[in-house]
Amino acid sequence: MQPAANDDRLKQTGDWLDERTGWRGNWTAVFLRKIPKVSWAYTLGSATLFTLVLQFVTGILLTLYYVPEPQQAYASVTYITNELSFGWLIRGIHHWGASAMVLLAILHMVRVIIYGAYKYPREVTWLTGVGLLLLTFAFGFTGYLLPWDQRAYWATVVGTQIGSVPPVVGGFTKDLMLGGPEISGLTLSRFFGAHVWVLPSLLVALVAIHLFLVVRNGITSPPKRDE
Amino acid sequence: MKPNERAKYLEDYAESKKKGIPFFPDAIFKDAIAALIVFLVIVSLATFVGASLEAVADPSDAGFTPRPEWYFLFLFQLLKFFPGSLEVVGVFIIPMVALGFLVALPWTDRSARRHWTGRPVVTSITVFLFAGAIFLTVQAITAEPPPTADVASGDQIALLYSANCAGCHGTTISASSGTDLYKVIEGGTHDGMPAWNSDLTSIEIDALVGFILSPSGYTLFVDNCSECHDMQSLAESDSTELRRALDEGPDYAPHATLGLPVWREALTKADQAKLLNFLTAPDGQRLWFQECSACHGQSVAYSGDRKDLEELIRRGGGHLQMPSFGSALSPEEIETLALYVTVPSAAPEGAEMFGRLCTSCHATRVPTAPDLETARQLISLGGSHEDMPVWGDILTDQQIDALVDYVLAAAKLPNLDEAEQLFLQNCAACHGNLGEGGTNPTRAGDIIAPISTAEYLATRDDATLRSIISQGQPNFGMSPFADTFGGPLNSDQVDLLVAYIRSWAEDPPVDLPPDIPIVPQGARTAPALYEALCAQCHGASGEGGIGPAYDAAWQASKTDQQIFDDINLGHAATAMIAWGDLLSSQEIEDMVTYIRTLTGEAGQSAPLTYVSSILPIFDTYCAACHGVLGGWTATSYEDAMTSGDNGPVIIPGDPDSSSLVQSLIGTHPDGLVMPPAVTMSQSDIQKIIDWVAAGAPEG
Ligand code: HEM
Ligand code: HEM
Repeated sequence: MQPAANDDRLKQTGDWLDERTGWRGNWTAVFLRKIPKVSWAYTLGSATLFTLVLQFVTGILLTLYYVPEPQQAYASVTYITNELSFGWLIRGIHHWGASAMVLLAILHMVRVIIYGAYKYPREVTWLTGVGLLLLTFAFGFTGYLLPWDQRAYWATVVGTQIGSVPPVVGGFTKDLMLGGPEISGLTLSRFFGAHVWVLPSLLVALVAIHLFLVVRNGITSPPKRDE
Repeated sequence: MKPNERAKYLEDYAESKKKGIPFFPDAIFKDAIAALIVFLVIVSLATFVGASLEAVADPSDAGFTPRPEWYFLFLFQLLKFFPGSLEVVGVFIIPMVALGFLVALPWTDRSARRHWTGRPVVTSITVFLFAGAIFLTVQAITAEPPPTADVASGDQIALLYSANCAGCHGTTISASSGTDLYKVIEGGTHDGMPAWNSDLTSIEIDALVGFILSPSGYTLFVDNCSECHDMQSLAESDSTELRRALDEGPDYAPHATLGLPVWREALTKADQAKLLNFLTAPDGQRLWFQECSACHGQSVAYSGDRKDLEELIRRGGGHLQMPSFGSALSPEEIETLALYVTVPSAAPEGAEMFGRLCTSCHATRVPTAPDLETARQLISLGGSHEDMPVWGDILTDQQIDALVDYVLAAAKLPNLDEAEQLFLQNCAACHGNLGEGGTNPTRAGDIIAPISTAEYLATRDDATLRSIISQGQPNFGMSPFADTFGGPLNSDQVDLLVAYIRSWAEDPPVDLPPDIPIVPQGARTAPALYEALCAQCHGASGEGGIGPAYDAAWQASKTDQQIFDDINLGHAATAMIAWGDLLSSQEIEDMVTYIRTLTGEAGQSAPLTYVSSILPIFDTYCAACHGVLGGWTATSYEDAMTSGDNGPVIIPGDPDSSSLVQSLIGTHPDGLVMPPAVTMSQSDIQKIIDWVAAGAPEG
């Protein structure tokens, strides 16, 4: 087949799709838009986004084998780590990816603060960003219990204890997290539910808004000294 | 930002965009490279470091030191700065303020300036917050290990604290006043903190309470001292120094140039006391080690009443009335002694004199005189010398109270080593080394009941014990032991013995009554019942053991009715329980008849066979499951010898390799323990072992 004909065919399909979805407009708006000249620091946000995707992929793979039951959680994680082929890698990536994501989100935030990128017209972007940071921490906290080993257990003991300190809401927060007077199977199900269903949904929604706003408002240009 | 500033910004921005680059592919390319680097880093960490996994969660193992993930460490560390009721500041208020700062940032920083140098306030707050978080994180990571106690000084409590508490609580805990710390420690009232009562004795818990105890002195400390001092170092300095610092105010040399208030006036007397109590908890034992043991040693000796003791401590050096030796000793002798207390090595012969003349007051501690002349004078003139501080001026009332309590209590603590010696020499021959009792050498057929069971100790008060020891129990063949009754022991020694016997109460060496084996379900004949119930103490053939032997002398000393009553009613406070609760009258009568057939000679019992001895055991303990559930089947000789998941469980002649025996004695390689719910009596287990060893004959 001729390359030209090939191009033609592709274009036809593209047109057909565009007529029904209007993708070209979006494509142009999102990818072919012009942005100010930016530095490497601007890659931090997308790097965070990348680790997020990585967490989703590896996290979903982990749920295929992970059992959120006190009796079996540990055994299933041991199985994932020691027996499942490439299980160690998936878990390793998820483990380190979590740290990387927290770190990158914080650095990204520092970048935003240094460049004054939270200012008009990006106040809402900033707010959703703060929400994202909190969600990321929540992911880390809930995920940490899941392996159900000594470190997981005792760190959560301390963590939930800290959660009970705030006046008025403290008792409630703690009950909500523990599902009882102490860490039990119920706690594990709650943490698992939060980690795998609740938090991902919230995160996806918030990231979508965050990115939509980034595209809509455009990325800041690095401010000059007198700006 | 004002409207015109906003418009200007949008204009400028549109301008810089025009001069900019297309997002695709230029920016995306950069992003992709960054993502690739991140990916490579994560994958190599995953590959070369991996995600560790510790031992499975064990809620009962409180020894584990909790560590959150690194990004929560700053919070964890912050907690340590705000102990007790201030906790809420550390874990809630400060983080909320920081979060509030982040959320509100676009609205608090409303200027049009964007470069960071144009926004000094925001920049510095940000730097401060991050520096703080990083500092805390680093501090948590490199956190000094918990304070290790100075073992040499014998400060066991600090050791306890560092071993048990410091892992979570750091170097200090401040409890809000009014907390019953003893209860908190004993019961472990908050999550994650275990109940310590199984790991620590009550004395240890008490000591820890004293160590931790820090009443409202904490606030005073924070308000007045914490700017320059950390708690640890002040608490470690000695109380004489602390009191001087308070009393002398600006005249106290180290405080001279600091422009400090005169504490005496700035703080009320009560506040001063609180502060000192905070820094040196009113815990007698600790005070003793800190203040007194340097001169008085570790052991506490005092016999006198509370008032005198308190007086003595309050007046301190005032009470030391040394006689003047000037007239009693020759000048040469005084010279020797003076030299000895100045430079001991220069006058070795002084040691003997010191031992003779001075130790009654100075104990073994040789005082050190600054120079020969002073020593000479002190010895010749005697009188009070002010070596011992006037504690009444230094310690708070609470501290003195605690010290007095401690000295009185500690002085009462008997020397248990000596007591044990006494017990072994005088009592063990009849009562056993652990008070377990045994056959009575003075009266044939009689048995001496244990005196070290929890029950015995709980039902005899000290006075009863003392009178039994002093006067003996002539009816039972125990002679009087007190010298007042013609025995060998003086009253101090009798007291020591009482204390020794009492010391068993905490952890009675003899557990009685023993586990009562389940009464066999199958044959309830007298021989079977005897095997299961009585043989444990009286021996399989009545040869005796914990209980008396049914030898000729015993048989002669009892009527049938007496034996019946003994079985039916038992003997209080011994292993001989009232079997009437478990056996019918008919069964007891049969038992009496059976016991009459016993001679008390061991070794005459019939050889162990499956039919006679093993079947009843299997029926009782095993057959309920091992008959219907598959695997090993215990219901017939044939099955018992051949069935089993992995081949026969009984290897005739080789009990050690028989998995049946292994599962009974806990050596099974798979950790199998049988029977699962009840405890089989030792004698039954032994019987099975002997039977297997004998080749597992059928009958
Ligand atoms: C899961 C976490 C996050 C993801 C995936 C994410 C993603 C992104 C991406 C891809 C951008 C485009 C520009 C760039 O890459 O720098 C961006 C911009 C931005 N982000 Fe985030 N972000 C996250 C967290 C945060 C946080 C924690 C904050 C602040 C509290 C924040 C505030 C902003 C702001 C204000 C912009 C606009 C910057 C500008 O226009 O220069 N984001 N974000
Ligand atoms: C978005 C950010 C996420 C973060 C920061 C995160 C964080 C973590 C962390 C810290 C652990 C403990 C890992 C370890 O120590 O071994 C963990 C475990 C786990 N996560 Fe996530 N996770 C994220 C997303 C997800 C998602 C989207 C899923 C699934 C839908 C998921 C599923 C799991 C599972 C099943 C485990 C337990 C298995 C194991 O520990 O090895 N995670 N996560």
